Amino acid sequence: MSNSTNKQNARQPESMLDITRRHFLSQSAGVSLGAMALGLLESGTASAQQPEVAKQPIGLPALPHFAAKAKQVIFLTQSGGPSQIELFDEKPGLEKWAGKELPDEIRQGQRLTTMTKNQKQLVMPARTKFEKCGQSGATIGEWMPHLKKVVDDLCFVKSMTTDQINHAPAMTKYLTGHQIPGRPSLGGWVSYGLGSENRNLPDYLVMISKMKRPSDQPLYDHYWGSGFLPTRYQGVKLRSSKEPVLYLRDPDGLPRPVRRGMLDGISELNQMRFEETGDPEITTRIRQYEMAWRMQSSIPELNDLSDEPESTFELYGPDSRRPGSYAANCIMARRMVERGVRFTQLFHPDWDHHSRLSSWCVARCRDTDQASAALIIDLKQRGLLDDTLVLWGGEFGRGVAGQGEWDSPDGGRDHHPRCFTMWMAGGGIKPGITYGATDDFSYNVAENPVHVRDLHATILHLLGIDHQRLTHRYQGLDFRLTGVEPARVVKDILA
Amino acid sequence: MRSIRFLEIIIPVIVCLHIHCCVTEGAEPSVDFSRDVLPILSDRCFHCHGPDPGNREADLRLDQRASSIEDRGDYAAIQPGNAAKSEIIRRILSEDESELMPPADSHKKKLTADEVDILRRWINSGAKWGKHWAFEKPKKAEISNEGIHPVDYFIQRKLNSEGLSLSAKAAKHTLVRRLSFDLTGLPPTPEVVQQFVESDADDSILELTNQLLQSQHYGERMAMWWLDVARYADTDGYQGDRTRTNWPWRDWVVNSFNKNQPYDQFTKEQFAGDLMPDATEEQKLATCFHRNHMTNGEGGRDPEESRIDYVIDRVSTTGTVWLGLTLGCAQCHSHKFDPISQNDFYSLNAFFNSIDEDGKAGGGAKPYLSYQSKLSARAVEEAQQLVDLRKPLEELAKKKAEAQFEPWLSEQIKKTSEDYQGWLPLLAEKLESTDGTVLTQIEDGTIIASGPNPRQDDYLMSAKPNTKRITGFKLEIFPHESHTDGKLSRGSDGEFVLTNVKLQLRKEGVSQFKDIEFSGAIADVEIKGKNSQYGKVRETLDDDPRKGWTTQGHDATVPHMAIFALAEPLYLAEDEHIVFVMFHRSTIGDGNIGRYRLSFANQPGDAVRSLSETPLDQLAAATTEMVEDVDPKLRALLLKQFLSDHAAYQNQKGIYDRANKQLSEVKKAAGKKNVMVLAERNDPRKTHVLVRGVWDKKGEEVGPEVPAAILDWPAEETKTRLELANWIVSKENPLPARVMVNHLWQMYFGAGIVRTPEDFGLQGERPTHPELLDWLAVELMEHDWDIQHIIRLIVTSNTYQQSSVVSEQLIELDPENKLFARGARFRLPSWMLRDAALQSSGLLNPALGGPTVRPYQPPGIWKEMFMGAFNYQPSEGPAQYRRTLYAFWRRASAPTFLFDSAQRRVCQVQVMRTNTPLHALTLLNDHTMLESAKSLAIKSVQASPSDKARIQLIYQRVVSRNASPNELEVLMRELARFQKYYKSNQEDATTLLQIGQPELLLDIKKLDDAKISQIASFMMLSSMILNLDEAITHE
Repeated sequence: MSNSTNKQNARQPESMLDITRRHFLSQSAGVSLGAMALGLLESGTASAQQPEVAKQPIGLPALPHFAAKAKQVIFLTQSGGPSQIELFDEKPGLEKWAGKELPDEIRQGQRLTTMTKNQKQLVMPARTKFEKCGQSGATIGEWMPHLKKVVDDLCFVKSMTTDQINHAPAMTKYLTGHQIPGRPSLGGWVSYGLGSENRNLPDYLVMISKMKRPSDQPLYDHYWGSGFLPTRYQGVKLRSSKEPVLYLRDPDGLPRPVRRGMLDGISELNQMRFEETGDPEITTRIRQYEMAWRMQSSIPELNDLSDEPESTFELYGPDSRRPGSYAANCIMARRMVERGVRFTQLFHPDWDHHSRLSSWCVARCRDTDQASAALIIDLKQRGLLDDTLVLWGGEFGRGVAGQGEWDSPDGGRDHHPRCFTMWMAGGGIKPGITYGATDDFSYNVAENPVHVRDLHATILHLLGIDHQRLTHRYQGLDFRLTGVEPARVVKDILA
Repeated sequence: MRSIRFLEIIIPVIVCLHIHCCVTEGAEPSVDFSRDVLPILSDRCFHCHGPDPGNREADLRLDQRASSIEDRGDYAAIQPGNAAKSEIIRRILSEDESELMPPADSHKKKLTADEVDILRRWINSGAKWGKHWAFEKPKKAEISNEGIHPVDYFIQRKLNSEGLSLSAKAAKHTLVRRLSFDLTGLPPTPEVVQQFVESDADDSILELTNQLLQSQHYGERMAMWWLDVARYADTDGYQGDRTRTNWPWRDWVVNSFNKNQPYDQFTKEQFAGDLMPDATEEQKLATCFHRNHMTNGEGGRDPEESRIDYVIDRVSTTGTVWLGLTLGCAQCHSHKFDPISQNDFYSLNAFFNSIDEDGKAGGGAKPYLSYQSKLSARAVEEAQQLVDLRKPLEELAKKKAEAQFEPWLSEQIKKTSEDYQGWLPLLAEKLESTDGTVLTQIEDGTIIASGPNPRQDDYLMSAKPNTKRITGFKLEIFPHESHTDGKLSRGSDGEFVLTNVKLQLRKEGVSQFKDIEFSGAIADVEIKGKNSQYGKVRETLDDDPRKGWTTQGHDATVPHMAIFALAEPLYLAEDEHIVFVMFHRSTIGDGNIGRYRLSFANQPGDAVRSLSETPLDQLAAATTEMVEDVDPKLRALLLKQFLSDHAAYQNQKGIYDRANKQLSEVKKAAGKKNVMVLAERNDPRKTHVLVRGVWDKKGEEVGPEVPAAILDWPAEETKTRLELANWIVSKENPLPARVMVNHLWQMYFGAGIVRTPEDFGLQGERPTHPELLDWLAVELMEHDWDIQHIIRLIVTSNTYQQSSVVSEQLIELDPENKLFARGARFRLPSWMLRDAALQSSGLLNPALGGPTVRPYQPPGIWKEMFMGAFNYQPSEGPAQYRRTLYAFWRRASAPTFLFDSAQRRVCQVQVMRTNTPLHALTLLNDHTMLESAKSLAIKSVQASPSDKARIQLIYQRVVSRNASPNELEVLMRELARFQKYYKSNQEDATTLLQIGQPELLLDIKKLDDAKISQIASFMMLSSMILNLDEAITHE
């Protein structure tokens, strides 16, 4: 078993650390933590009156295993399976095959979903034209004009592969390393391992684009869950509403100073209880209530974009003016990075384009293209890109055969697990390169396959974590994100 | 000082607790294989030299004696009696990295000197083999001390060896509260507390226990545990997350516990109620246990793959719940630590492989039992009563509103007498297009497209209409001779396709805008085509460019019209502008509108929901001068229009409508419902080992068989599910009784005797008190699996009754309370916190069973997750105050007010207990907590004129005791602060009291200002008390 420290951690009651703090608390709590907080914490200078609280993050003691290239992560998750064939993976030879049956030696018995398993697999060439862009000459489809401007900052991995063909299992695999719900998410593992750099915000924040269309693929909260890790490591979903975090808002008719007074009362009575019972868990609770109070101002502050200049919205595009949009969430992601949030994850739903690719897929590109590119530009000009790993991708790709009539405007594409494209940038990633390749049909990986677990190993590596050593014991086994099959760090894409 | 991370840190503390319980003699303590040796071998060796042949290195197994001592040429891995000549010792100590075991690349820890010593002594004393403790049959150890409570005997004996003793008894008020939560999940009423505190009978604890065990709430409390274990939920999970109606099974569980059904029978019915001789309907219902797994109805999913997942889930769940084994590990390969082969796993699958199911979800998840719950009638009656209660209030509000109708009407007659227009053209401040079309507005408001005609385009129109309110928009589309064939657009066929319509509200000086929702759209003509064809105007309201409005197929040389109604009237401030956006993003494109006009209305209701003239337009046209002369038909229309715009009436009507909606829903639930159950198909399926666990990679065929390593039974006696159940709860089976008593212990002590309740295997933790565990297990079986007998035994022990106050020394010695030298102090499960708040505030509706209810959740929870496909409407009236057990559980979005709870996706038996700011926020701001605080406030203010007495009343109800003088001082001070604030801020007091069901507000409406500020102050005080650590803790 790899890491006995983790085992200890797993069983350790949370309150243990408080034993050593009892002395501190028994002295300071009487001075009303609340009074201190009222004056200073509100203004966001939490560290000012608690100088003993250092700013560095606290994760597992053995971490990082080695020097990290990236401190923070933004994962732009495109749910539904964006088509690599239209967007990134140009295959000029496909025109010759248009309408012809996909050769068996290419298909190699690939399983199909029940949506297309009874139809002929007729090749449908890309519905877009491609352009070689930047110095790197990466090929980008015409539906993403903005991304073309930043290609030299990006690393395209065209040889991503997974083993799940349906959405929920594939997304669960993509984000938790296993297709059946119950494991901790990538962000959960990172937050567990490395902790936070900001005491006033959660380590792991999640945002979902606000859309009108009922999504065919609900975004289950286990995608950012903590699985068998303590629930504090689960992603906190920021909602686009008056109450960005559930229960954050005090009821109408309860102003902040009254709430403050009430929390003081709770602290004082809890402190009395602590002295009576000796249970260190109580002092933890006192602090959590104080933290809740601080979150009530730090989250709205994070969420309020009114301090952003016009130029921000011009950069991120017109949709960034709509709160809750993907573009607005990209601005939020940059703000989170500025505030030291360890792991930020955006979800943009509705990339599941079984039909009418050329209107449907275009719509999702229009939602995301400018803002994704803007995020790279913005992070770069603020000097944040070096420490921030940005990832863009979905749970699988799409097949080369048309779904429906291959030559009708109604044509779309079915799910395809064997290959898909992701791009990455910043945080220790080599910019301006393309890694891996698919065959002439964008069907099989032809060189340098990157399995989802290799992606996980690489992300952890960039964060200074050896994926084999970040483990947690549960049900008698030491689990890790990358699972039991061998996973490799993709060294060739590291800067 | 140490730094503190955001949500608390964990720091490793090596806890050295000796778990040896055998007193040993002599200088060298004897080595016990199962206790001392096996854990080391399992942890460091079995991964590569264990039961799994797929992973085995060097053809060496160290989990069996024969292969370990086998002569391997000139050496043996283990040479009994001679550690020095045993290869494993040499390799463990090797300094040569290529020889060292475990190898560095296994990431397994090196053996410590102590561990090497254990192995060495064990080999030297003959390398005696044994079984892992959990696979040995439990035996009762002899209790040498007569008259002592058996639980105390084992606990005390170990404490003695550590030089410790049990803590003092907890205070009586603490004890009654502890027992009440443990057995019923609810706090005791002040009366019960008083009775218990005042009683000095020796057996008062037993009496109280019996009383609580007889309460119907006992079954509910146990059922909440069992539902977590059973991964019970009211929806399928996965895509669609369709609702199921399995809740009658939940009532079966409550009832089974309440009648104290023996655990073996409880087990058999859930495994095979349908196979029992003369199976009753209830017995069939019981088998729903094994159908509570998630079902996946995702389009594209092969149902057979799903079906196999379900079978596997049943086996894994069986392993976790009854056997305390991680059987699921053997799905892909033989278990690496426990003696469960992959064949064993699939042989267990065979028991569940011929269920008459086909892997479908939603309404197709047969087999079903059509079942009508007897517990629904009460719910219908309750819902009816609420309707009856609300009806007169709605009527009264209507009357009041109607009384204002005629004055309004006469005003409208005046208003419409000259030049009235219900729809006013929207005049643009700015017209833009994204792709190049030139848009120009002419005098009558018509907008003309000219210049470039791109394939697709979006038209944006900014405007600042001269109105305070907008309720909807009218879009007129005009043909023109300049268009193709004089039709509606400049596209090649003269037709248009409008894919989306959006409305934005912009405020001057603010960069972001607000999206304004439409509630619906209608058009004069549209194509009612198949789902994916362009046609319906309603489809311009989603974000989907594959759908939209076109009038193709209708006459394109005449104008067409659509009306878009806003979800809520939009009130425009001075500095606000609107932007109306029209998207032409269809797949082919080439259908941008050529000429159009937008108008707006400021009347709600039919004015924006119908294509005919608005009621006020009709009134204008009628040129009536007197109210009495208005045509009755028109008058009715106008009244409807008036009422739809009457806020006070609409509010009351909403309250009434919700009650009616609830009634019709409950009535539906009261009929026959399909409950998913087990039933065998006629033609049994063959079962195969699945290679690497992959559903369609069939290996060797296997039949139903039980794992011999646990308890060997002949195959001919284990053919059916019923026989499997018989095997599980056989008194020869070493596991289920142990696992069950451990579950119970965990409930009352916050942690089990085995701290890994899900894993009694080699990788699980060893019991802290093995003899106690075994004693209780045997006791359970000897008493015919009488669960309540074991509970009674546990809670009447001194161990259970200890105070949870802890000294600094003890907490440092035993932070996790593994010695049980003190009572257990832990935060109550979040579901109990909700139930407790309802109980102590007097709001709790104690009704038993029936259809699901929906406790408060913040608005929009389901809507945002499913992008509008589901909407959560909290229950109304008394249904709101039911216990959490009955709360509707959507798998994709578990109730938000629960934290650290099981997720109900897969079986979960381990408790989660964290302490985070999000929990604090939940308890501070959840509506149930706030409404309970309000109810407590009303109760206390009504009960006494004295503030002190009021505070004590709240304290007693919430924490089951009186506040101490010190506490009272703080509470009085805080109360004074609240009172000071709310006295001078009446409006806030009134606003605060709006929270909750309208019925609870009824009385408040009659109150004067002083009372209102008083209740508001006590509400905040109650909320404060409900948030105290003591209030949320099992002490």
